[in-house]
Amino acid sequence: MVGEAAGDPDRHGQLLELLREEHPFYNDRGTASTVRMRGWILATLARIGLPDDALLFVLEELDTGVDPYLVAAAARALRSYPAPRAAFAPLVMGALANIRYRDERVSFESYGAYAVGLNGTTPVAELLATLTWLGPHARAILPDLEALRHGGGVARKYAAQLDAAVAAIAAGDLSGEECCTLPRGLGAMLSWPLGTRRSDDAVAQIVLEDHDGNEIAFDELFRGHVSIVVFFYTRCDNPFKCSLTIAKLARVQQRLEERGLLDQIQTAAITYDPAFDVAERLRTYGRERGLRLDAHHRMLRAPCGLDALRRHLQLGVNFVESLVNRHRVEAYIFDRQGRVAASFQRLRWNEDEIVARAVEVMPERKITFPMVGTLSSLALAFFPKCAACWIAYLSMFGIAGLSQIPYSPWLKPAFAILLLLNAATVWLRGRATHRMTGFYLVSAGALALLSTLQFDWKSAAVAGVVLTMAGSFVSAWRRPVRASAATRTA
Amino acid sequence: MTTKRKAPAKGAKATKRTASRSKNALAGRAAMAVATSPKRTVKQRVAAIAETPLTICESDKDLQAMLNLLRDRNEPIAVRLAALQSLQAASFSVIAFEACRGDYIATLREVVDDPDPELRQRVLGLLAREKDGFAQKKLIDGLEHPERALVPPEKALQLLAYDVHAEAYAVARDVIRNPPNEDSRREALRLLSADATAAPIFEKLLGDKNELAEIRQLSASALQALRPEKLQTQAREILLDASDYDEIKATSLTALTQFGNEESVANDVELRNRVDEMAATASPNVKQSARRFVDRYSK
Amino acid sequence: MRVEIQINNSASPGASFVSWAPSPCRIRITDPTGAILPIVPIQLRSASAATAGAVRFRSGTAGAFADTLTLQVPANGTSVSFFTAGRFGRPSSSNGDVRIEARAGTTLIGSVPLMVRVRKNANTLSAAERDRFVAAFAKLNNQGTGRFTDFRDMHTNVSSPQAHGAPGFLPWHRAYLLDLERELQAIDPSIALPYWRFDQASPNIFTLDFLGVSDNLGTVHFSPNNPLQFWRTDGVQGINRRPFFSTAQAPPGLRNETNTLGLGTGYAAFRTLEGNPHGTAHTSFGGSISSIGTAARDPLFFLLHCNVDRLWAKWQRRNGRFNPALAASYDTSPANPIGHRLPDTMWPWNGITGGQRPPTAPGGPMAASALVSAPGPQPIVQSSLDYQGSVNAASRLGFDYDDVEFA
Repeated sequence: MVGEAAGDPDRHGQLLELLREEHPFYNDRGTASTVRMRGWILATLARIGLPDDALLFVLEELDTGVDPYLVAAAARALRSYPAPRAAFAPLVMGALANIRYRDERVSFESYGAYAVGLNGTTPVAELLATLTWLGPHARAILPDLEALRHGGGVARKYAAQLDAAVAAIAAGDLSGEECCTLPRGLGAMLSWPLGTRRSDDAVAQIVLEDHDGNEIAFDELFRGHVSIVVFFYTRCDNPFKCSLTIAKLARVQQRLEERGLLDQIQTAAITYDPAFDVAERLRTYGRERGLRLDAHHRMLRAPCGLDALRRHLQLGVNFVESLVNRHRVEAYIFDRQGRVAASFQRLRWNEDEIVARAVEVMPERKITFPMVGTLSSLALAFFPKCAACWIAYLSMFGIAGLSQIPYSPWLKPAFAILLLLNAATVWLRGRATHRMTGFYLVSAGALALLSTLQFDWKSAAVAGVVLTMAGSFVSAWRRPVRASAATRTA
Repeated sequence: MTTKRKAPAKGAKATKRTASRSKNALAGRAAMAVATSPKRTVKQRVAAIAETPLTICESDKDLQAMLNLLRDRNEPIAVRLAALQSLQAASFSVIAFEACRGDYIATLREVVDDPDPELRQRVLGLLAREKDGFAQKKLIDGLEHPERALVPPEKALQLLAYDVHAEAYAVARDVIRNPPNEDSRREALRLLSADATAAPIFEKLLGDKNELAEIRQLSASALQALRPEKLQTQAREILLDASDYDEIKATSLTALTQFGNEESVANDVELRNRVDEMAATASPNVKQSARRFVDRYSK
Repeated sequence: MRVEIQINNSASPGASFVSWAPSPCRIRITDPTGAILPIVPIQLRSASAATAGAVRFRSGTAGAFADTLTLQVPANGTSVSFFTAGRFGRPSSSNGDVRIEARAGTTLIGSVPLMVRVRKNANTLSAAERDRFVAAFAKLNNQGTGRFTDFRDMHTNVSSPQAHGAPGFLPWHRAYLLDLERELQAIDPSIALPYWRFDQASPNIFTLDFLGVSDNLGTVHFSPNNPLQFWRTDGVQGINRRPFFSTAQAPPGLRNETNTLGLGTGYAAFRTLEGNPHGTAHTSFGGSISSIGTAARDPLFFLLHCNVDRLWAKWQRRNGRFNPALAASYDTSPANPIGHRLPDTMWPWNGITGGQRPPTAPGGPMAASALVSAPGPQPIVQSSLDYQGSVNAASRLGFDYDDVEFA
């Protein structure tokens, strides 16, 4: 199937679908089988060329992979990306550090092949080849590579490859290139502005059990607070995933404490393995990693609701029987309505970035939706200029009793204030989504409308309404924006 | 009292280290020469292999020689097993073994289907503990197609249990339904105890007096991990049941002594009275665990 | 007249443990009734059964120990310091089986129970000692949910460069065992980690009531009374251990103690014991203990390493290698990787993750002790060397081996 899809450019998208952990392809497969399947897909991508959409899967393997076959395949696949980038270098170097003591021979000769005997390639060889391919783009990691070379950091048999990589990197100067930040659209964070977020109704009534055995419904726990939510399980044997995720969540809690936000931003760690990870296991696992546990900071399992959670959040996980066979690193920020405002997927997230994002979500309020701006602008533009006009307007609406309301000129500045408030909220939303177009439009519209308070410019009134309406809707209806990934920490 | 001594000059230290390494290398060379010599007796060769230093990876020649001993079916099996043990011991020094590991694992895969059953079993064990997919595939294949089995089914199940993420649960359930022997059934149950949804199976087995004692003991242990509250209840029932067997009573007492809910056990008058009786009158095995129970809950 | 005696300068019963290395103590008169003079001569002596522990005394930080000690103690309640240590060859077999008695003339005016707690040969433990150890170990494991998981997680393939294949092998494992032992002592303070003397036959270890009997498959069986039957690691229950030798004998091919101690007088030569007997002991079995990534799943692993540590202690004693400033005490090559140099902090206790350290640091800082302050919450490599405090009393780690005397 993979071969067929690879041979047909119109079906290349199927290969990407096959990289999603939750694909039914992986149902009831053991981890070793899953590794073979994923590695083969990456190796296939290495042959046909790596598209942008697949890049994150490759980088993920370099960032947190511990299996030699997958790491080798990822290193190979990266070399088929159209152009090397400086941002790849720290990940390749990190993969080298992670895998060097687990180096072993792997074979990409055919699907499912294992290297038996002294043939095949190795992840270290592939990573060194990738560093050579990066060439001067890998300047930032050259000191680390040279330290490795001088300190006998990799096996002697790689000496020639190591020298070649160092030479390739040292040749040329690309000092202008920004290191370590992935370009927009290629990063690991997804963001959903207010108004685009899916309601949590599907999971609101799921019962969760926490680390002390207390039961609480999903909506009861998450509505009313901004929350940082991670997924993990105690039997995860990849130290770069679950164990590290919980240790990092403990550091997130420290950051929150330093900023006085522990009572305002919740943290939650939900297990993929609710049948096994009972309360005592959760508690022990969390404590051993320095996690703070209390009413605002919990470890949770969903004894009967994991499937619903999987569907609602489209969790990147799959199972063999009740055991996880593979999962991605994933962290979410829920807004005060329990809806996903942002997610961090596949790459190891940065504690400061996740806290900053949660803080940005905090001030959001329900009233900030586009109609307020639109109605305010309409009201201001067409506000009756005299008492007789006022009566005429209200009669036009034909609503009984409305014509009895006296002329209220104070409403005009009130609408102006509403308009300015709308502009302010649009500005906040624009900051959160890194798109300010809506704000510029709304500001222009507000200026135009405010000018009509002084001058009777009908065209300005119409333009003001149109600009305000357009700006409000543009601000609200943005697609999720992938932000750049944070620099990896050592 | 601190005694200050003058540290020797840096140059002297470095010289000593180099001399030590050279001495090591020479010793290693000498040992390998004996190990690979067909003129020496098996005993001499095995003894020489035991003397090879951890630094075998520093010499490609020595490493390949050792791997060749392991893979060469014409060599005496004692020599091959000694070579395996030596490489295995060296693998504990992960930093020093970095250069060797790739070829070592590849050679292990080469010999999984060796004619010698002991070598096959050891090599598959080593690979299984590394959660090697190649080994897992071979083991599962052997369970599904006994004519291709490299090790007995009970051994295959035992080795597959090293990785809770292995694709072995379906085949384990098959073995439980149709066990080729009792050991296989036991190992299949042990493997299955990693699946939390299998708790009801262990509940049933623990309560079945017709079951073998070791199966009930294994079930108690599985249940204690998966559903500790269920084991508390069942252990209590077992202890209050005069007709149940001593071994399972002793296991139940041990479970409650070690892991019992302090409050509920301490307040369970019927249970405590029963255990007090056992501490006085039961068979020696049960008496011992009953006394420990009484000691714990009388504090 | 009454006196108060404090062992390890603490009134807490949790501090009433001594080994062969001298423990600082103090005595003061709490009730001077009957004291005629401002200074009262008080004699201290050890009181115990013939098969129990025994202690000796000295008044200062140097000099010989004696069976009794007479101190001039002010009647006004001022403390007077002295030192006590276990009499070599007379370890305790239970908590409080030896007392220090204080007499004014022939009148007993005070006493304190204590224990001479040292690490013993697991093969010669009494049934009571064995049972206490096994119960505490099972409790620490707590069917896979207890603190033992941290110790298991400290010794994996990913973390192994922190502790193997370089000079820090011995110091790291000494700290590791110390941390585990202190956790066991938090459950039962009478426990000291026993060692498996792997170059001798140790049939009493491989029994149903102790570390289990292996069947042909390598599945380890326990008596129904043995709490280790509930042992669980990595989510899987039980222990796999298949000896390649008869447990009525020692494993073959192991370098014996004499030859191990004779590896060399310098640390660089001595540490080759990592291969044989250490590696050979591990690989004398099939099963978890024979692979580095799974070895810590088997409780026998800790007894194996306790013996490796004992060999180091014995070598140190024989060659006077407690002082880190002495070149032969350690291998200080500048090429040593991080975590293997004398001033380096050791993972995981240092909490440092990422880079050249593993991604997480399970277990947190080193467990504290009521007896000593060393090695501190974040031990450095150097702090493992002077374990008896023979160079610097403040370095004492609070443990000893039954057959390694105080230097």
